Amino acid sequence: MRLHVIFRYTGYILVLNALAMLLCAAVSLLYAERAFAILLYSGFVAALFGVFPLIFVPPTENITNNEGLIILVASWLVSCLLGALPYVLWGAEFTFTNAWFESVSGFTTTGSSILTDIEAVPKGILFWRAMTHWIGGMGIIIFALSILPFIGESARVLYQSEMSPLAMDNFQIRAKQAVRILAIVYLGLTVSETILLMIFGMNFFDALTHAFATVSTGGFSPKNASVAHYHSLPIEMVVMVFMILSGIHFGVLFSAVAGNFRSLFNSPFVRYYLISMGIGILLSAAGLYGSQYDNFPEALRYAAFQIASVGTSTGFATADSAVWPALSQVLLIFFTLQCACAGSTSGGIKVDRIVLLGKAFRRQMKQLQHPRGVIPITLAGRSIGKEVVESAILYIAIYLAVVFIATLLLIAVGTEALEAFSGTAATMGNVGPGLGKVGSLGNFSHISTAGKWIFSVVMLLGRLEIYALIMFFIPRHWKMYSTF
Amino acid sequence: MGLRLKILSGFLALALMLFLAGIWSIYELSAIGDSGQKLLRENYRSIQAAKMMLESLEREDSAILLLLLGKWQEGRTILNAADSSFNAALQMAKNNLTIPGEQAYTDSIARRYKIYKSLWEKPVVSTYKEGNLDWYFREVHRAFLNTKAAVNSLMEVNSSAMYNTATEVRERANRAITPGIIAMIAALVFSLLFNFFINYYVVSPVIRITRGIKQFLEEQRPFDVEVESHDELKELGNLVMTLVSRAGKPRG
Repeated sequence: MRLHVIFRYTGYILVLNALAMLLCAAVSLLYAERAFAILLYSGFVAALFGVFPLIFVPPTENITNNEGLIILVASWLVSCLLGALPYVLWGAEFTFTNAWFESVSGFTTTGSSILTDIEAVPKGILFWRAMTHWIGGMGIIIFALSILPFIGESARVLYQSEMSPLAMDNFQIRAKQAVRILAIVYLGLTVSETILLMIFGMNFFDALTHAFATVSTGGFSPKNASVAHYHSLPIEMVVMVFMILSGIHFGVLFSAVAGNFRSLFNSPFVRYYLISMGIGILLSAAGLYGSQYDNFPEALRYAAFQIASVGTSTGFATADSAVWPALSQVLLIFFTLQCACAGSTSGGIKVDRIVLLGKAFRRQMKQLQHPRGVIPITLAGRSIGKEVVESAILYIAIYLAVVFIATLLLIAVGTEALEAFSGTAATMGNVGPGLGKVGSLGNFSHISTAGKWIFSVVMLLGRLEIYALIMFFIPRHWKMYSTF
Repeated sequence: MGLRLKILSGFLALALMLFLAGIWSIYELSAIGDSGQKLLRENYRSIQAAKMMLESLEREDSAILLLLLGKWQEGRTILNAADSSFNAALQMAKNNLTIPGEQAYTDSIARRYKIYKSLWEKPVVSTYKEGNLDWYFREVHRAFLNTKAAVNSLMEVNSSAMYNTATEVRERANRAITPGIIAMIAALVFSLLFNFFINYYVVSPVIRITRGIKQFLEEQRPFDVEVESHDELKELGNLVMTLVSRAGKPRG
C-alpha cells in the first residue's frame, strides 16, 4: 500500500470539494449572507489539504485494486469530515456530531436531518447541503472522474472500486465511456428538472436545490415542510417523475433517451422496479383511502409520492407518514429496504438483488422437484453465474444483519424501538425518513449523540455497500512499502 | 516544482491558514463588542424608560387615592411630579426607537396615558368624585391598567430583543472560537502530512543517495538509487549516477 498515492488521489477529491464550497460561497455572496466567510474558509481548508499532496506526489498511473478501495473509502470519509466544516463554523443547531451527521447524510444521499428549522439556515449553507447530495449521488469518485478527466489510466481502477459490481454488469463498455454516460444522464436530469420546477412556480434556488436532491435521490429540501411546502400538484408530479427516473440504471436510461426506448422495458430489473412500485402505490392508496383521505384520488396522490420517494431512496415528503395506517407503513418499510435499480443513484438492497433472490428461490423450488436436473438461472435470456446469485443473496443477508445489529445498538443507547428499526432501515438504504419521530416530516435532532454516530456509520455502510468500509478498517489492507 | 518552492508552499499554507483564522476571530470578536454595545445602547435604555413609566404610574395611582380621600395638596404634588417623570420617560422611549414596530408601542402608551390623565386632570376633591370608589374602579383604575399594559408590552418587546441579541452574542462568541479551533486541528494534521512528505520525498532520497555513494566507495557496488520526485533531488541522483559511472566501472 502506497500511502502517498492514496494522498494524491484523495487530494483530487478534496480539490473538487473545495471548488464546490467556493461555488456555494458565491451563492452566499449573492444573497449577502454572513455564511460567505464560512464557506470561503472551509473551501480554503479543503483546497489546502487537496492541493498539497498534488504538489508533492508525482502522478502515478498504475494503482492496485486494494489502493483503489482505500482511496474510495478515504475519499468518502475525508469529504464527509471536511463537508461538516461549514456546518460547524455556522454553529446554531450544528454541534460537531450534528454537523458530521448532516454531512454524512448529505454525501451518502440519505437526506436525514438534525435541523428543526431548516429555513433559518443561510442560503449558501443550504446550497452546500444540496451540493453534497449532488456530489455524493453519482459517487464522489465517479463525480470527480467526470469533472477531472486528467486523472489518467488510474481512472479504471477508481471507477471499478466505486461502481457496484451489479451496476457494472449493465455497462459493458470502457470506464471512461461509462463515466461519460453517467455524467450526461445526471446533468441532463438535473437541468430538465430545474427548468420544469421553475415553470411550475419555484424560484431558481429552490428549483436547483430540489433538483440536486431529487436526481441524487437524496431528499434534503430547503423548506421545513419539504415538498409539502408548495401545495402544488404539478410540482409533486415533476419531483415524482424525476425520482422514479433517477432510480433507473443510468445506462438503460441513456439508451432509452438515445432512441432505444424498448431497452427500458427489456430490462427485467426496470420492469420489476416499475411494476412493484405501481402495486405498492395502489395498495398504499387503498390503505389510506377512508382512514386518512376521504377520496381515492387524494389517497393515490399522497401514496404515490411517498412510495416513489421511499422506493427510490429519495426521502422527500408531502404527507406525514408517521400517522399512516399499518398497511401503508409496512409497505414503506418494504420499499425502504428494497429501493431502486443498481447503476442509479439509489441506495438500499436494490431491485436487481431482489430479482436474483426471487429467481434463486424459483430455481430452488424446481430443484426440489427435479433433484438431478441442471436448472440454470436466466435473466433476459442470459444465464446468470452461480457466484453472482450467491453474492447477491449474501449481500442481502449481511445487509439485514447490519440493520438488525444497528437496531439493537440504537435501542441500547436509548432510542425508541420503532425509530431505531425504521431509522436504521432508512439510513442503511440512504432513504432518509423512517417512522415515528424520525418520520417523513420529522427529524433526527432528538436522537442521542451515540445514536447519531451509529446512524452515520450505517449511512456510510449502506452507501459503500458494506464491504469497502469494513475492509478499510482491517489493518491487513494497510500494508505499506518497507520505507514507511 | 522545485524543492525550495515545495517546502515554502507548506509553510505558507500553514501561515495563511492561521492568519485567516486569526483575522476571522478578530472580526467576530469585534462584532461581539458591537453587539454588546448595541444591547446596552438600544434595548436596555428602552427597558429603563418603561420601568420609569411604570413607577410613575404607580405613584399617580397612589396620588389619585389621596385625592379621593380629600387630600388635595399631597395628591396634586405627587401627581405633578409623577406626570413630569412619566412624560420624560416616554420621551426617552420615543427617542430610542430601535426595533421595527416599536413606535406603535410608544404611540399606544401616549394614547392610553392621555385618556388616563384626562380622568385625574379635572378636580376631584370637593366634587362627586371624592370618596367615590365606584368612579375609581369603573374609570380610573381601568385606564391605569390599560396604560400599564401598554408600558409592559414595550418592556416585553425590548426584553425579547435583548434576549435575541444576547443569544446572537453567544453564537458569535462560539463563531469566534471555532475558526481558531479548526485552524489548530487543521494545522496539526497538516504538519503531520507535511512531515510525511518531507520525510518521503526529501529526507529518504537524501539518505538513499548517501547510502548509495557510501556503498559505491566502500564496497564498489553500483550506484542505483531511484528518486520519485521531479525536483533538485532527482537531478542530484542523476548527476551522482553520471559521476559514479565516469569515476570507474564498479565491480559486481
